[in-house]
Amino acid sequence: MSASILKKIAAGDQAAVEECMNTYGGLVWSLARRMLRSTDEAEDAVQEIFLDLWRNASRFDPLQASETTFVAMIARRRLIDRIRQNQRRLQADSLEDILTEPSARNDKLLETSLEAREAAKVLDNLRPEQKQVIQLSIFHGLSHQEISDLTGLPLGTVKTHARRGLMQVRELLGLKDSVETEASV
Amino acid sequence: MKSNLDERTIERLCDAVLASEHITLSDTGSISTQLTDAELREAEKLELAASALMLATLDELEPMPSHVKARLRVTAQQFLDENASPSVATQPLEAATHIHDEIIATPQRRLFDWLGWAIAAIACVVLGINLYLTRTDNNALIVQNPTPTPVSTPTLAQQREMLIQTAPDVRIAEFKPGNVKGLEGLRGDIVWSDSKQAGFMRFSNLPKNDPEREAYQLWIFDETQKPETPIDGGVFDITADGEVIIPITPKLRAKNPSAFAVTIEKPGGVVVSSREKIAALARVKQNQT
Repeated sequence: MSASILKKIAAGDQAAVEECMNTYGGLVWSLARRMLRSTDEAEDAVQEIFLDLWRNASRFDPLQASETTFVAMIARRRLIDRIRQNQRRLQADSLEDILTEPSARNDKLLETSLEAREAAKVLDNLRPEQKQVIQLSIFHGLSHQEISDLTGLPLGTVKTHARRGLMQVRELLGLKDSVETEASV
Repeated sequence: MKSNLDERTIERLCDAVLASEHITLSDTGSISTQLTDAELREAEKLELAASALMLATLDELEPMPSHVKARLRVTAQQFLDENASPSVATQPLEAATHIHDEIIATPQRRLFDWLGWAIAAIACVVLGINLYLTRTDNNALIVQNPTPTPVSTPTLAQQREMLIQTAPDVRIAEFKPGNVKGLEGLRGDIVWSDSKQAGFMRFSNLPKNDPEREAYQLWIFDETQKPETPIDGGVFDITADGEVIIPITPKLRAKNPSAFAVTIEKPGGVVVSSREKIAALARVKQNQT
């Protein structure tokens, strides 16, 4: 298996910085466009995310997750910071718009992230309202109270749905860690 | 791998990761400033899970527009320049790279390249030995555990120490109490590096705040901004007694800061502070600037 791009960056390989932009540029841009919904803001966010990524490259642990998922984690942190910074809050009438079901899953993306495939399985088994809570929480950075206000679901139900969905994926990832560790010993 | 943390702690971490309680996700990787190592590891697992869920709902990938990529190349070059050894020029990212590589690069230059990496490697080994020798009993228990475990995120104290040891331009300033009554016993310091654009605050006796009512906010007074509009250094909560370390998350690039102030603001912070409640103030001594 070739060395990961982030490991190469951490080792001082300058060419890997360009490789990183080429490999993950589309992913980071798409996440920024979808979460921020403003092109100008997405452009600024992409710069910050890649800078974070390069600076934190040494923290990537391939035993814990795929590189794609690690990149998504760094991107999500910065994007949620931006959402909060701008105090952007969704209006009730935009709920339908942001919760439109994806027309088709991106198979190419799922191929590069085992964790995303596991997460997709969990999502497939959730009820629509649970899925809605997860999307509002994970993708839009809304607080439990805000989700409750938007959806009309009781606050306790929102908390349970959000935590349960996250923990289900986390449990699946935990199993994956054990299997891979054993296989690599 | 099942976590050993209790259910309530897991729920708290879930809530933080789900962005529900305004706990700042900093670029140093910690979701809060007072988490134990075990909690930090679990929080990162949960963050990865959240990110996997995010990926699973991303329906299509758009290619990055060329003008955004061009801008990113400039950012990349700045990053490479920042991280280059002072004696070694970085290679430009553009197509002209090959002209440099084979024609201009001399054996002497390659020797310096090699030396730079060798010195960096030695520094890492020395730092590793230092951390090993100064580890706490708690760390010793972790070392004795025969189960393979992922590499843990350094604690904030370790990250702070590493910054002091590795950043060539680190500044340290002492915090003094500001104008808020009851904070006369506050002690603390701040470390900052322009080249790393990173730093840490360390406080003792800074009281816990009620996140529903107020938040602490750091302001950085530097040469890029007027004194009336200092850089927002990030909003944070104090949720534990005793010594706490908080990473700095500036919203803009800071250069040559002369002072740092911590104010008490509304939850989430403000864009411009009225400076009515200054909890702490640190001035950088002139010989460090």
